[in-house]
Amino acid sequence: MAHDTHDKTPANLPKATYEVHAPRLPRIPFLAVSVGLITVVGSWIPLVLFARARQIPSSEPRVSFVQDMGTQPRYNAQQSSEVFEDGRAARLPIPGTVARGHLDEDDHYHHGFERVKGPDGKMVNKFFDTFPEQVKVTPALVKRGQDRFNIYCSVCHGLDGQGHGQVNEMAVEDKEAKWVQVASLPSDAVRVRPVGHIYNTINVGIRNMSGYGAQVPVADRWAIVAYVRSLQYGQNAPEDAVPAENRNTSQAAAK
Amino acid sequence: MSERITSSKRLMFPRWANYLLPAIVLGAVGGAFYLPVAFGIGASPKTMAVGYAPTQPVPYSHALHAGKLGIDCRYCHNTVEKAAFAALPATQTCMNCHTNLKPDSVRLQPVRDSWTTGKPVQWVKVHDLPDYVFFNHSAHVNHGVGCVECHGRIDRMEVVSQQKPLSMGWCLECHRNPGPHLRPRDVKVTDMNWTPGADFDGEALKKDYGIRDTAYMQSCYTCHR
Ligand code: HEC
Ligand code: HEC
Ligand code: HEC
Ligand code: HEC
Ligand code: HEC
Ligand code: HEC
Repeated sequence: MAHDTHDKTPANLPKATYEVHAPRLPRIPFLAVSVGLITVVGSWIPLVLFARARQIPSSEPRVSFVQDMGTQPRYNAQQSSEVFEDGRAARLPIPGTVARGHLDEDDHYHHGFERVKGPDGKMVNKFFDTFPEQVKVTPALVKRGQDRFNIYCSVCHGLDGQGHGQVNEMAVEDKEAKWVQVASLPSDAVRVRPVGHIYNTINVGIRNMSGYGAQVPVADRWAIVAYVRSLQYGQNAPEDAVPAENRNTSQAAAK
Repeated sequence: MSERITSSKRLMFPRWANYLLPAIVLGAVGGAFYLPVAFGIGASPKTMAVGYAPTQPVPYSHALHAGKLGIDCRYCHNTVEKAAFAALPATQTCMNCHTNLKPDSVRLQPVRDSWTTGKPVQWVKVHDLPDYVFFNHSAHVNHGVGCVECHGRIDRMEVVSQQKPLSMGWCLECHRNPGPHLRPRDVKVTDMNWTPGADFDGEALKKDYGIRDTAYMQSCYTCHR
């Protein structure tokens, strides 16, 4: 042989080989990888749901994990009841009964009018023209009246009482067929009413206005009457009732 | 190593099982962080309770009545200044206006039914504290805490939804330092737009209203009695 490679091999090269068992781990099986990935990604899902629950209103009530007497077998205020046919847990007074302190026997204070014999012998309502003795007309009472008037009356009668509150304006704008223009309180027609009549209007209503007796307690009704009187006076006051420095001279000149 | 004894019939863990230990440790450590965080966020009243907006029997809109028409909250919820609870309006209250206004609206049918039968409209309660908590509206409303502090912008809601967590932590946050949450006496508690001006002084208001000391306000008995 012309080319004997053997001859060229350096004598010190190893002649044997051996297998290397390197401590390298094999590939992680697909299954294990996917389980790991699913766990990591899956752990975000609740967080995303929580974030969503925080953003979007839900019609489902809160879940209580631990009840802890959070719902006790008792009725809270205004709770409904399955025991009674009308669904009210708080019972209404039995017809014909009167709760203590609600006899309302003082005609002047509680009703604003009394029944008297008219000229033709029939019983008629006579409205009181004065405030009852329980009511002291003071600036504080008128202030209270203003506060209550603005809550219960101004929506229809307007803050100035002239009958242009938001509800009236919207109803007129929408041409509501059955709506009746709200009365103007400083008008002559209402100014001549006795205080008892205005009280009674608040208590039980008049014609197309419903009563506010259920919403406004007796003392506050009289406070509102006092304020209505001050509105009426204020918008019809003679000029010399206004302190000179507060007079609107241009308006006075125009008159 | 393992290949050498494959002939054995005994159960052998495959090689990848060597990953199990680190995986378990990682999982345990991760889980120990993840679970409390997830539970904390998930079970928090901010997730569970805030945003609760049940469907009501009548599509009554505060945005229209309290917002656009500007009806004072107390026109309907007229007990807030005197009682612990805030009264829901009686059917009569709705009929004050709706006898002559939208008398034929189908949306108001349940109200008219209630008017004729005498059965109350069954509203669904939105804000609901557990029965072991004592709460009182008048104590707050008469001491200058506005509705908006606890109910949010009701006057912009078509459907009422719970805005605050109503959790004990939330109550205490204010009870520890009520000053900044109070409003002066000449501002209506029902005013939703009011924001404190530059001259706002919570400490002076606390004195003015005679707010009790922090110890009383945080005492368990104040809210659990
Ligand atoms: C829902 C709207 C509405 C509200 C709220 C309202 N009123 Fe009226 N009020 C009316 C209407 C409408 C009339 C006119 C009734 C008619 O002429 O049929 C009227 C008439 C009156 C009159 C004149 C009655 C008369 O002598 O002729 C008085 C006084 C009055 N209201 C006082 C009040 C007071 C006080 C309040 C607050 C407690 C109040 N109203 C709340 C709608 C309302
Ligand atoms: C015209 C009457 C009316 C007025 C005015 C009104 N509300 Fe209401 N309110 C209702 C009725 C009816 C419900 C029950 C139905 C509902 O939840 O939407 C209610 C429900 C609520 C609730 C949820 C009660 C619950 O179940 O937890 C809150 C809070 C509330 N009102 C606050 C206010 C505030 C604050 C204002 C003033 C900005 C206001 N309301 C003005 C009639 C009224
Ligand atoms: C102070 C007057 C007033 C009171 C009290 C009142 N509303 Fe209204 N309501 C209105 C006005 C004004 C409108 C708007 C009418 C319009 O769109 O022209 C209205 C509209 C509605 C509508 C929409 C009707 C439709 O067909 O578009 C519903 C529903 C309604 N009210 C429910 C109620 C309920 C329930 C109550 C009692 C908790 C109530 N309202 C009390 C004045 C009132
Ligand atoms: C200090 C916080 C706070 C203030 C201020 C507050 N509320 Fe509430 N309100 C609550 C809580 C808490 C509840 C739930 C009470 C319960 O479940 O016992 C609630 C419930 C209600 C309800 C449902 C009926 C009830 O009593 O459970 C109405 C309506 C309501 N509030 C209206 C108002 C109005 C109107 C005002 C302002 C005049 C107001 N709230 C001010 C915290 C407050
Ligand atoms: C925005 C502030 C604020 C928040 C929120 C608040 N409170 Fe109050 N709370 C007050 C103030 C101010 C008082 C009046 C303290 C006083 O009369 O000295 C008060 C008083 C009370 C009282 C009456 C204490 C007494 O004996 O007269 C009770 C009960 C009460 N809070 C319970 C609660 C509960 C329950 C919550 C949570 C659902 C809550 N409060 C959330 C501010 C707050
Ligand atoms: C400012 C009012 C307030 C005070 C003060 C208060 N709590 Fe509470 N507490 C609450 C409210 C509100 C909840 C209901 C929380 C909820 O529904 O998420 C509550 C819930 C709890 C619960 C039940 C928790 C559960 O989810 O099971 C315990 C127990 C409790 N309070 C203990 C105390 C103790 C002890 C104190 C005195 C150190 C205290 N509270 C003082 C308002 C208060």
